[in-house]
Amino acid sequence: MEASLASLVDELGEAALRKSERESRLIVDSIPGLVATLTPAGEVDAVNSKILGYCGRTLEELKQWGTSDTVHPDDLPRVIEVIRQSMTSGDPYEIEQRIRRFDGVYRWFQVRGLPLRDSNGRIVRWYVLLTDIDDRKRAEAQLAGEKRLLEMVASSCPLTDVLTALCTFVEVISADCHCGVYLIDWSGPRFRNGAVPSLPATFNDRTDGLPVCLEIGPCGQAALLKQQVIVTDLETDPVWQESAIRPLALAHGIRSHWSTPIYARDGRVLGTFAIFHREPARPTRVQQDLIAQVTHIASIAIERVLSEAALDKLRSELAHVTRVMSLGALTASIAHEVNQPLSGIITNASTCLRMLNADPPNVDGARETARRTIRDGNRASEVIARLRALFSKKEFTLESVDLNEATREVTALSLSDLQRNRVMLQFELADDLPAVRGDRVQLQQVILNLLRNASDAMAGVDDRPRQLMIRTERDAGDRVRLTVKDAGEGFDSHTVDRLFEAFYTTKPSGMGIGLSVSRSIIESHHGRIWAEPNDGPGATFAFAIPCAVERTV
Amino acid sequence: MAVASLVAIVDDDESVRESLPDLVREFGFEVQAFASAEEFLASDFVEQTRALLLDIAMPRMSGPELQQELTHRGHKIPIVFITANGDDAIRPRMLAEGAVECLHKPFSETALLRALNAALRVG
Repeated sequence: MEASLASLVDELGEAALRKSERESRLIVDSIPGLVATLTPAGEVDAVNSKILGYCGRTLEELKQWGTSDTVHPDDLPRVIEVIRQSMTSGDPYEIEQRIRRFDGVYRWFQVRGLPLRDSNGRIVRWYVLLTDIDDRKRAEAQLAGEKRLLEMVASSCPLTDVLTALCTFVEVISADCHCGVYLIDWSGPRFRNGAVPSLPATFNDRTDGLPVCLEIGPCGQAALLKQQVIVTDLETDPVWQESAIRPLALAHGIRSHWSTPIYARDGRVLGTFAIFHREPARPTRVQQDLIAQVTHIASIAIERVLSEAALDKLRSELAHVTRVMSLGALTASIAHEVNQPLSGIITNASTCLRMLNADPPNVDGARETARRTIRDGNRASEVIARLRALFSKKEFTLESVDLNEATREVTALSLSDLQRNRVMLQFELADDLPAVRGDRVQLQQVILNLLRNASDAMAGVDDRPRQLMIRTERDAGDRVRLTVKDAGEGFDSHTVDRLFEAFYTTKPSGMGIGLSVSRSIIESHHGRIWAEPNDGPGATFAFAIPCAVERTV
Repeated sequence: MAVASLVAIVDDDESVRESLPDLVREFGFEVQAFASAEEFLASDFVEQTRALLLDIAMPRMSGPELQQELTHRGHKIPIVFITANGDDAIRPRMLAEGAVECLHKPFSETALLRALNAALRVG
């Protein structure tokens, strides 16, 4: 480009020096680009036929560019200033500006001016080459806009803000249109206005909550048929005569309505992206590319919010479970464990008093019952100590954990529950079990959860012993494995993949939290948790985590 | 002298079987303790038992199941349930099922004596 402009100037310069106007005009016209010449004062001198064709104006009209709309009004002051400076200094100039096409559309041009000097070094003319850079400019603006939108998504801006910015972005790039993102609440299913920034409330209030069905309009069809729907003219298109959206759109001066589904990564439809025009319109290839890009960004933004909502739900469910467990089942366990020795203390103390009050006093009997009172008191304090050990730590702490001991503590607390469910607990705890490194309370939560699941799975079993086996052993690769095997209902082999998903449950009153939380705990210990059906009835759940590494100095 | 009424205790908790019989004996009753419902049913004392102190939650046959089994066999032994479970809903349920009383551990000797006397009046 640089070389061609320079050689052009050389060529034109020679012609000019020969004072051959005709010759230089011929040369200018032969250039495939847009070329103009200016006087040393900056007035338009001549333009080639390409410029006349592009602008649709006469040379006389173009000479008035400084006071007309040939240059975009936003660019005009800057253009005048740059040219003025260059005329004064004599330096070449280069500027990007919008120039009006014959049909009123402004396109971006790169405009470069080079001075032509005579043998004395005086400037005799300026040669100006105009290069259409509108596509590049548009691509740049689009990229910058997309980058801004993705930054908004990444920085956790509220969804409405992101979608509003997204609509405005498209409205700026693709002029004279209105954009809207409609989210779908599939429980209805109903449309929810995600963002429709440039249409009035009289329109938006009526679209929010519309049912998702084929008859409703292009967005309903796009969502249900999972395809883009282009309605060039709502007024005349026979398909949409009866649709709910048609009278509303026409009343707001909207004629064309395009709707594109916004997909989640798994193919579900999250919503639709709509573009409205006030004149009948079909999308250009450029507009289609733009639609594809922004629906992709919208899907990222929406999915991010949904996954955050799911996480929040998981967190609050988890808090709920913890609360319910500690207030309900857990306090019941604790009460049971504490009430047993308390009951013994009162009974023995009562007996003791009665024996001492007898005539003659039964001192030997009293001594024996007093001894039992002390033993029961010790038993109660052991329960309290066990509870304190179990609940004193709240933060994730790494320590050396003996899984056998951790298992015994948990089962001691669940014993009354297991007993009530008539579960026969059987231990196979390896003697030489190496310690693991991890958070004892979290690991105990996992064990407790596996025990509860096993016990619940056997609640309906009456034709065989409700046997629950809990085993610890060394596993391959310096791991320790803990296995809980029940004789319960078991599970279908095709549901095994879902067992550890959040909110998946086979229990009527379950929330499907336990195993997903267990998995995240085990994974945070760099371990693995899995389930398999037994050869006989029931299922086996197990986890394996690495042994604590002996630190060598 | 009248023969003392026989009170049977069925509880899988060894410490209960160790302490409770002494107190009941101090009240002036005869006592037999059993570790399970099955052991009690298999014993020779079912006929003579005038009151039953019965644990609710036990491995294998539970207290209420023993109650049903006794009714089924035609024995009308007044039952006082004892439980370490703190759930307040248990007592009304047990009374509705025909128990004389349901004592939550830990219970006072007065409560125990009152319950046993009520049971013996019924029987």
